[in-house]
Amino acid sequence: MSNRDSGKADILQGTLDIMVLQTLTTLGPVHGYAIAARLEQVSNGAIQLNMGTLYPGLMRLEQRGLVRGKWGVTENNRKARFYAITAAGRRQLAAEKAEWTRTASIMHSLLNEAP
Amino acid sequence: MTPREWARRLWATCRRTRSDRDLEDELTAHLELAADEERRRGTPEGSAVRIARLRVGAVAQAMEAQRDQRGFAWLEDLARDVRFACRTLGKAPGFTVVAVLTLALGTGANSAMFSVINAVLLRPLPFPFPERLAAVASIDLRATAGASGSASWPDFFDWRSSARTFEHLSAYRETGFTLVDGGRAFHVPGAVVTSDLLSTLGVKPALGRDFRINEERAGADVALISDSIWRSQFAAAPDIVGRAVTLNSRRFTIVGVMPPAFHFPVSVPAAQIWITNAEDARVDNPADSPMTAERGAHFIRVIGRLRATASIASAQAELEVIAAGLARAHPDDSGNRGVRVASELDRLVGDTRQSLLVLLAAVGCVLLIACVNLANLLLARGAGRGREMALRTALGAPQRRLVRQLLTESLVLATLGTGCGLALAYGSIALLVRLAPVTVRGLDQVTIDGVVVAFTAIIGGISALIFGLVPAFQTARTDSGIGGAATARATQGRGQRRLRGALVIVETAVGVVLLVGAGLLLRSFDRLLRTAPGFESQHLVTATFRLPDSRYPYLKQILFYDDVLSDLRALPGVDSAAATAPLPLSGSRYSISFQQSGVQRPQSERLSADFGMVSPGYFRTLHVPLLRGREFSDADSDVAPRVVIVNERFARQYFGDANPLGQRIKPGLSTTEKEMPWREIVGVVGDIRHQRLSEESRPAYFVPYAQGLISPLSLVVRTNNTTGIVEDIRRTLARKDPELALYDVRTMDEYVATSVATPRFQTLLLALFAAVGLTLTAIGLYGVMAYGVAQRTREFGIRLALGARPAEVLGLVLRSALALIAAGLIVGVVAGAFATRLLASALYGVSPLDPATFAAVAAMLIAVALVASYVPARRATRVDPIAAIRSE
Repeated sequence: MSNRDSGKADILQGTLDIMVLQTLTTLGPVHGYAIAARLEQVSNGAIQLNMGTLYPGLMRLEQRGLVRGKWGVTENNRKARFYAITAAGRRQLAAEKAEWTRTASIMHSLLNEAP
Repeated sequence: MTPREWARRLWATCRRTRSDRDLEDELTAHLELAADEERRRGTPEGSAVRIARLRVGAVAQAMEAQRDQRGFAWLEDLARDVRFACRTLGKAPGFTVVAVLTLALGTGANSAMFSVINAVLLRPLPFPFPERLAAVASIDLRATAGASGSASWPDFFDWRSSARTFEHLSAYRETGFTLVDGGRAFHVPGAVVTSDLLSTLGVKPALGRDFRINEERAGADVALISDSIWRSQFAAAPDIVGRAVTLNSRRFTIVGVMPPAFHFPVSVPAAQIWITNAEDARVDNPADSPMTAERGAHFIRVIGRLRATASIASAQAELEVIAAGLARAHPDDSGNRGVRVASELDRLVGDTRQSLLVLLAAVGCVLLIACVNLANLLLARGAGRGREMALRTALGAPQRRLVRQLLTESLVLATLGTGCGLALAYGSIALLVRLAPVTVRGLDQVTIDGVVVAFTAIIGGISALIFGLVPAFQTARTDSGIGGAATARATQGRGQRRLRGALVIVETAVGVVLLVGAGLLLRSFDRLLRTAPGFESQHLVTATFRLPDSRYPYLKQILFYDDVLSDLRALPGVDSAAATAPLPLSGSRYSISFQQSGVQRPQSERLSADFGMVSPGYFRTLHVPLLRGREFSDADSDVAPRVVIVNERFARQYFGDANPLGQRIKPGLSTTEKEMPWREIVGVVGDIRHQRLSEESRPAYFVPYAQGLISPLSLVVRTNNTTGIVEDIRRTLARKDPELALYDVRTMDEYVATSVATPRFQTLLLALFAAVGLTLTAIGLYGVMAYGVAQRTREFGIRLALGARPAEVLGLVLRSALALIAAGLIVGVVAGAFATRLLASALYGVSPLDPATFAAVAAMLIAVALVASYVPARRATRVDPIAAIRSE
């Protein structure tokens, strides 16, 4: 029922931060829907973000000062909240990227170890 | 979370409504964008939004998730829980009122008691850097206890010139002045102080200037006056400084007016006029030596301001070295003298600390009983809510959420109870202060301040945990099966009953401790009141006046007293009149050394005994029995052979079984003689409890005032007309000298009452607390028994149906009550035996383990327990078997 209660969602939330920050770095300031659409596109539809997952995640990033949200207008003239990565967000992303790469390489060599 | 994030969250929580709309707008926008995309893909307009919603989720659920992320979820939960708790409690007004009142009683007693402790023990003295104020006293190294806390002038001067650990060291003594104003003479309490006392205290006169060091020399007649005297006697004249005031028939120059709040020495009544120690350096007869030169006369107090770098311990160490030097230099007077440095606050508080802490412990016990009662109430209530809990569990509420909800209810109760408790404390402070002994420092400033409120809040919170935690877990543990009557009942199993039994045992035990304490104090107080002081205090009126040395040289004073006494004896309604100093039970005591004829002792080991000056007929007036020899008569004049009367204890201690009459002693007391005379013992009188009723009399000797007058005498008049006589005495005195002021006009019974004021206060309060504790215990027991009977209605019904006689059912219930009480009694008696040790110093003539008290408490508790369980037990016998069985 709720995203919080499943273990899978927890893992997702951990990586969601990186994915969002990376998306904002790539695309520049965009609204929530654009972030979700981009992630869906990049993952070939594997990641379909529910609003109930995406927005608390954005809110958490905003609370930690990693992104900043501002109301703006889309090209279709719709009102939407645009998110931009902050300097702190960039630093955080760099650190998490390095950590992620390290973990991934450890996992990679572990899993591909010859028996 | 970083502090910044905390702040953001808190901010978000506070601005919830606006932010909610903001979130919703954003989510709606998201949904619209998704719908736009659907439309672009060619989805028909009618289903675009529906399909978009399927894809990105519902707004409401996302809102909920965001809300959790947004604020402090627990804070919002708390607010919800509090609202819910208030509603729930509102639906059970009976329970709520009982619970709040119980708590109000418990916390109210605590916060009232604590407000007293705060004012007396905790609040600092009203001077800058009060923690650096220290009291210094000379002590007799041979004495085991009961040091007087005084010093002599020469000792003080030597301390002051040598001590480096003190910024300032000052001395003072309380005294009184006769002030004549417009033909009317009246008494003003005052003090003789060294010139730097105000520097020591860190206070400056509000008007004029402080004393100067050269004003300590004889002849410098300067005075500082209080703000209240300045207003009442001098109409707040702005040009007061430099004006003259006549004190004890001598002219003093006023050099300053003190600020209104200045109160030192800390005594009741407060000093109004301060003069310098030039007073004690003055002699009327050039051949005499002034008091400032009497190293053996310990009658001043010393207060010092420690340097910022010094401590009590370092000052003690330094002064011990100085005192040792003085002991070597003056072996006669100081051979056995040491020194003691203590914080001034500790000196002022003295024995009060112990008795206040005992009382605080007692109110703590009352609160504990209140908490146990509440826990019991909540348990019973929780049992009744089994269905509600089961339902909420079935609907998916996790257990910790239920526990939190229940604890919130306790918290709300605690808040309400504590609030009422504070109001109760506020209302009772005036009463408390009126009952308290007046002489205790700070008692005139007992208030509910921030410290007291904080203390109350803390004990309220702790109480909530004590009474709420166990019931909360117990209640929330309800089986999550289908919530029905059967389930609710099944959980009332043995575990719960045992828990409730344990609570009864705890509160009985605490009640026993309280009752034993109160019982011991009551017995001790009763003993005290029955203690004969050695004289008959009824029908005695006492009053004091001061003869100014300047107009009354030594012999003239004696003649004046003779004259006044003979006039008083002639007054109608007066049985007899006498004079003495110091007055029994007035708090003052003279101790003067003496030598015994035929017994050689080194001077430094000279004996000391209580000393008194009395008029002829004094012992007859007080109804002190004359055991041997004779009383003083008018023939024992200043020119007659020197005589002395000793008390029984003196006779026994120094002469054993031998007849003391005709023996001689030489008191270290000089008046007009060149040399101290030997005095012949002419009488032996009964012992008088001079210091306090609870203190055995010490060896004492008395001389006729005509042969050794060293301080103002108090008149003692035995009459049946104790109220009307006062005006007669006043008139008699005014006729002889209109410039004399009568003061300390009191009956001897008042002195007796004052001397038992502290034990009376402690006894009364502890008895009150014990009564509250006992009442709460009885209520608690009743509650448990009533609930137990209600639970076992079916069982009793079956028993009765099977032929049990009502008496048997009654016995069954009473037995189970007694079993609990007995267990509580045993625990309580053991705990009491330890706890009453704290009381040992407050007890008089009663052992802390007094078997009679313990037995009486046990009997009382059993009686109360029987009464409290009898009503529910009777109900058990009246159970209708058919109805009871059918009710299932």
